[in-house]
Amino acid sequence: MADTEGSPGSSMHGVTGREPVLAFSVASPTVPTDTTAKFDLPVDSEHKAKKFKLFSFANPHMRTFHLSWISFFTCFVSTFAAAPLVPIIRDNLNLTKGDIGNAGVASVSGSIFSRLAMGAVCDLLGPRYGCAFVIMLSAPTVFCMSFVSDAAGYIAVRFMIGFSLATFVSCQYWMSTMFNTKIIGLVNGTAAGWGNMGGGATQLLMPLLYEIIRRAGSTPFTAWRIAFFIPGWLHVIMGILVLNLGQDLPDGNLGALQKKGDVTKDKFNKILWYAVTNYRTWIFVLLYGYSMGVELSTDNVIAEYFYDRFDLKLHTAGVIAATFGMANLLARPFGGFASDYSARKFGMRGRLWTLWILQTLGGVFCILLGRANSLPFAVTNMIIFSIGAQAACGATFGIIPFVSRRSLGIISGLTGAGGNFGSGLTQLIFFTSSKYSTATGLTYMGFMICACTLPVTLVHFPQWGSMFLPPTKDVVKGSEEHYYAAEWDDDEKLKGMHQNSLKFAENSKSERGRRVASAPTPPNTTPNYV
Amino acid sequence: MAASLLLVSSILISCLAASCHGVTLSSLQKTLIVFVTASPSPGQVLKAGEDSITLTWSFNNSFPGRTDSAYKTVRVKLCFAPISQQDRAWRKTEDNLVKDKTCQYKIVAKPYSPSNNTFSWTVQRDVPTGTYFVRAYAYNSADEEVAYGQTTNAHKTNNLFQVKAISGRHVSLDIASICFSAFSIVSLFGFFLLEKRGAKHSQEN
Repeated sequence: MADTEGSPGSSMHGVTGREPVLAFSVASPTVPTDTTAKFDLPVDSEHKAKKFKLFSFANPHMRTFHLSWISFFTCFVSTFAAAPLVPIIRDNLNLTKGDIGNAGVASVSGSIFSRLAMGAVCDLLGPRYGCAFVIMLSAPTVFCMSFVSDAAGYIAVRFMIGFSLATFVSCQYWMSTMFNTKIIGLVNGTAAGWGNMGGGATQLLMPLLYEIIRRAGSTPFTAWRIAFFIPGWLHVIMGILVLNLGQDLPDGNLGALQKKGDVTKDKFNKILWYAVTNYRTWIFVLLYGYSMGVELSTDNVIAEYFYDRFDLKLHTAGVIAATFGMANLLARPFGGFASDYSARKFGMRGRLWTLWILQTLGGVFCILLGRANSLPFAVTNMIIFSIGAQAACGATFGIIPFVSRRSLGIISGLTGAGGNFGSGLTQLIFFTSSKYSTATGLTYMGFMICACTLPVTLVHFPQWGSMFLPPTKDVVKGSEEHYYAAEWDDDEKLKGMHQNSLKFAENSKSERGRRVASAPTPPNTTPNYV
Repeated sequence: MAASLLLVSSILISCLAASCHGVTLSSLQKTLIVFVTASPSPGQVLKAGEDSITLTWSFNNSFPGRTDSAYKTVRVKLCFAPISQQDRAWRKTEDNLVKDKTCQYKIVAKPYSPSNNTFSWTVQRDVPTGTYFVRAYAYNSADEEVAYGQTTNAHKTNNLFQVKAISGRHVSLDIASICFSAFSIVSLFGFFLLEKRGAKHSQEN
């Protein structure tokens, strides 16, 4: 490969902060260090794919992509499997609105913790086992639905099934070991978006299964329990496929590779410190709670809403609810693309405006969804709401990699957890008490989305500006190197630990938009290319 | 283009008109008397799928004789008592009968006759646990409600009976669930241990 890879500053290894550092240090003589012919796709010096060939299943890169997103999809299917069947379940278990709301909160709360733990599991055991452990250990929880006989059991089982959403972390981690960082944004956005589609597919699948089982002769109160076996089987099948067909790294599995080399691994408490003391982290945690969070909340309530408000049949309500989640197929990647496109012209300011516009649009149409009295208007408003919210999710992760270089993994994890937290909070406030009808709850949720999106106006990068303010005029403070190197103290800089941050800073100059060519070289910060 | 617009708007208008003309419960006369005798004994909780109730309904003769000339059919329904509607907006009582969700389970439909109407009904297996009463609606030939009667008083406080639903669980389902769960856990740890042992062997060799 005679192009720019390998030249100083071009390697983006470590941008996500989640790859195992040993990838640098595979020095076994049996592993070829040149990159020709061994893989189906062109690869870089770390054997990560540089191209994204969607309809291929070739080992290891594209096969990993498909195993990864389908596993995540399966977990979404089982977490939200109860939602379209609530009209039946609420009669079987004699649930009140409070019980249904609490179960919805429980279904998204478990993964707040499991996602945080999954990062550590992926570091220790590798993403393949991380994914397989979560998906196969949560299969029994899905099968447990056949035992549930009251509200407490229902809430407990939905809480436990919700742990499986930790596969989001293994999915993103696994992608970053297999794909070069120049395309990792698109790859991760597509994998996450297609996984999220599971929340929509389940609204189609479960009523269909229920209908088939009922026609085969079962009573309603047994049919829904049998229907839950199918997501359970999907868990087991995907777990077995991941274990047998997957591998942790392009060159093989974690345990089988030799670990050599003198790389200093970063300290967890340092990474955590720079994540939590960056105020932008918390703004994005809040924002993601009102893009991803409202998407999850809506997955839980929308089928029942259409069934009750418009007197539809169960599977019709399911079809409509499914279009909400299935919009992820294109909406989330579109959000990432819109963010990248606006960055080409306007840099980071474009990305911030894009995020604000998409998320506020989603909020406005959520308000209108709650107010719609006729079915066609309700469906139209719901579709535009879904596009706005899901594109905002994609746009958020177009900005996150630039918030911090050192702590990217933790910030991504915190943001993801914020999404679930926002979902739990929203369901608790608006969809659990009998004070509001679901329609009113949706309207208020829309207002809350608009209000909670406003803090994005406060996100300011000294080197790029914010939505309303230009970048700082100070030549030193206004450089990308200064921002990213500030995450390392002097001792660490002496040891040269900040080199990757400097390389990243150089590449991030693209976030200036059209001003890149005129960027002045700051006086005393000549990067040392090792 | 104009023709399709006209069609769509006329459909919309007729839908609105239909909902405007929905019959309200308060407009109906309570001219039917409905009795239910729960079997085996009153006050006992009825089990869905097993126990049955016997219903009788007749025209209340204290009303003038020609009042029931328009009644053509009678539909008897199982309705939720207020306690079973609490915190459950999907069972809400509305005066407009098109929107009313109080009576969700059909018991029987029969042609109208002023007396000698009885029916024995086994509580269906999809009836949820709750407190209920029975209401009968009389319909005219245009299938609109014209009169009703119910087993309880206007405030729905007396003569209520309880139903206990089936659980929906089966021993065979429970066993299948345990088997698949065990398979999942065993295959996961089995694979993990096999791979660990394989890695150790290749390191030793």
